[in-house]
Amino acid sequence: MKNETAVAFTGVTRSFGAVRAVDGIDLSIRRGETVALLGRNGAGKSTTIGLLLGLDEPDGGEVRLFGDAPARAVAAGRTGAMLQDGRPVPRVTVRELVTFVARTYPKPMPVAEALALAGLTGLADRRVDRLSGGQVQRVRFAVALAGSPELIVLDEPTAALDVEAREAFWDSMRGYARRGNTVLFSTHYLEEADAHADRIVVIDSGRVLADGTGEELRRAAGGSLVAFDLAGGPSEGLDLLPGVTSVEIRGDRARLHTEDSDATVRALAGRNAIRGLEVAPVSLNDAFLALTAHARPLETTR
Amino acid sequence: MITEYVRLEVRRTLRDTGFALGAVAVPVMMYLLFTNLGGQNEEEWKTASMIGMAAYGALGAALSIGTGVAEDKGSGWLRQLRITPMSPRQVVTGRALTGSVVVLPSIVGVLLAGGLVNGVHLAAWEWAVVALALWLGSLPFTLLGIGNGYRFTAQTTGVANIACNLGLAVLGGLWFPVSLFPDWLRSLSAYTPTNRFAELGVSVAGGHAPGAAALAVIAVWAALFGTYAAVSYRRSARTS
Repeated sequence: MKNETAVAFTGVTRSFGAVRAVDGIDLSIRRGETVALLGRNGAGKSTTIGLLLGLDEPDGGEVRLFGDAPARAVAAGRTGAMLQDGRPVPRVTVRELVTFVARTYPKPMPVAEALALAGLTGLADRRVDRLSGGQVQRVRFAVALAGSPELIVLDEPTAALDVEAREAFWDSMRGYARRGNTVLFSTHYLEEADAHADRIVVIDSGRVLADGTGEELRRAAGGSLVAFDLAGGPSEGLDLLPGVTSVEIRGDRARLHTEDSDATVRALAGRNAIRGLEVAPVSLNDAFLALTAHARPLETTR
Repeated sequence: MITEYVRLEVRRTLRDTGFALGAVAVPVMMYLLFTNLGGQNEEEWKTASMIGMAAYGALGAALSIGTGVAEDKGSGWLRQLRITPMSPRQVVTGRALTGSVVVLPSIVGVLLAGGLVNGVHLAAWEWAVVALALWLGSLPFTLLGIGNGYRFTAQTTGVANIACNLGLAVLGGLWFPVSLFPDWLRSLSAYTPTNRFAELGVSVAGGHAPGAAALAVIAVWAALFGTYAAVSYRRSARTS
């Protein structure tokens, strides 16, 4: 029974026609961790979550929840989830819905507590299909935690929430994690992953590109960023300069990721290429871009 | 767990105004209309039509379970149920039980109209047995509706259910007595589940036990529709 691993993916693949939505994912989540699954839309986050919950079967590899097949862990009431898709269930009140879901679990929390955690106490007798988008999202959260499961899985939980509701949501989520529960959430917002998870798993094109704390990801992407105007000068050979790990050219501006900014700047000065020079520590967004090696940035503001 | 689920789904169904109208109000009104218009208002027709219309209402209510299933498939509620500890079998069983609960208002509604408005006279035990026979006999139609619901989208299910509803009701003689049918249609009608369903009620109201043929035909249809529901469910679980 005692098993320190909550979630384990080993070489998991899943294709839909010609598309490899999940392309060899290895992932292990310990009990009590809060982990963010970070990636753009279409990176394979929702497919990964579907496999995790046993809603879908992998083509290859193995998924284990608490050392067991996902369907069995779900049947034993060890997981709760907030799914992304779908419209609210018609013709039930918030309280009826949460009460019903709680009673399908072996050891649920009191319904009033689930409602309070999700900030729904005042809306308990309203019909779910007559609530606003943000309120429905809170109902989904209450449904996920009503059974007091050891693992909760949240697929893009803050979509449709305004700033204030988002803060309240993360507070509740942290409160739930603090009880020793394991939380896995997916997001395409960097700040969210950085601020609310112990660990960030970056996925793109169905693969895990990086796995670590925000700080580790920043370090892995190279220590600093050196940017300058090319001013018509050549861009060839920049990747050979000392310390440089990758080069990005955007219009007339070159951005060099470097592990040794001093050496890089010295070399640039030698080439007389220091117009508009800027040296900065790498941001998490830059780290993400370096990892995914695509020019399209993640959304960083909303 | 199933009891909780059935309670939730029954509430959801009864709150649906479309359901209340289509499955309760319409059969009651049709019954009153068909038995009080024109010259056809002898005692026997009032009783036969009462049972036909109660059967028709139960048929509609049972099929409407399928519309609910299709709606829930589209809204993501079925997916949400799959990640609760309830097993798929419990979910399907719960739905079928829900079906057997929500046919009751249709049956009771038409029987009340017969007894209170049209003055149909039956002994107390006969009323009870008629209601019970109609209630149990509606199971094949619940299974048919569930099969449609798992197989089709919400809109297609609606159309399929209306087609099944009208086709089975008219062919089975729930609207007009089969004595008005030409011979070939009358013999075909004897093989429909609806015709035998109504026969259950009619024979009980007439004071005798339902015939073995009627029970056999209903049992065969129940098995057929049950298989259809199971196959449709398995297909939808694979694709959604």
